[in-house]
Amino acid sequence: MSKPPTASAPPRALHRPLSPHLQIWRYHITMFTSILHRITGVATIAGLLLGAGWLVALGATASGICPEAYTVYLTFAASPFGLLVWVGVTLAGFLHLTGGLRHLIWDMGLGFDLKTSNLMAWSGLLTAVLATIAVWFYLFATGKVVL
Amino acid sequence: MSDSYLTERSAKDWKKSVKHGAGEWLAERGTSVALIPLVLWAVFSGIGLANQGYEASLAFVRVPLNAGLIALLFLISGWHMFMGLKVIIDDYIGKPGTRGLLNLVNLLFCLAVVVAVLGGLYFVFKA
Repeated sequence: MSKPPTASAPPRALHRPLSPHLQIWRYHITMFTSILHRITGVATIAGLLLGAGWLVALGATASGICPEAYTVYLTFAASPFGLLVWVGVTLAGFLHLTGGLRHLIWDMGLGFDLKTSNLMAWSGLLTAVLATIAVWFYLFATGKVVL
Repeated sequence: MSDSYLTERSAKDWKKSVKHGAGEWLAERGTSVALIPLVLWAVFSGIGLANQGYEASLAFVRVPLNAGLIALLFLISGWHMFMGLKVIIDDYIGKPGTRGLLNLVNLLFCLAVVVAVLGGLYFVFKA
């Protein structure tokens, strides 16, 4: 296994970077936005499926393969539960969008300091929530979506 | 320096990928950047089409530019989704057999979504 420690070569284990221990880590907002980016990425798949379902239903109805396909799609997509999914997808999508922008900024080697990281985490959350509210406020206010 | 492991072990000994890695990195960033305008366009289009009925949706998709952007959106997001899910599977699934199987399911799922969308577009235009 490992060689016994000598004066010239101290035990390697001493100098290895340690894994983060969740029990002793102080909570930080970037911890939350980090895992949130992964969660919202998965949640946004629901939006992709809603979009794909819309196009499949449109094609099936237009071609006459299954004329009632579009109505079937709407019974889900326009139902209260469907609406809940749409709202969730909007929020998850905007969170993933702002999170993705944050990561692209980091990928350019910018904004790694604590102050900028905190600012990007909070502004990303706020922007996503406000964008979601704006979209759904508009849809309800104009009567395009009714419960 | 007390970081003797850095000098003791040369960078040549570090386990690293020599065949791929950079390509995936660029593909993840490239798809992300491309999806920013495409998703915003999709949100605006969706708002415009909400509650407008079947005929309005059909007319929208039959505009060649819209159909092209829809195809592009789903091709790129299907690819982006595959890479994202693959990273999650690779992170959390330790058993190579299970990991390989799940990644195959992932690939088939993402391909199915893209094929379904392209099929839908085909039938919209064929009709």
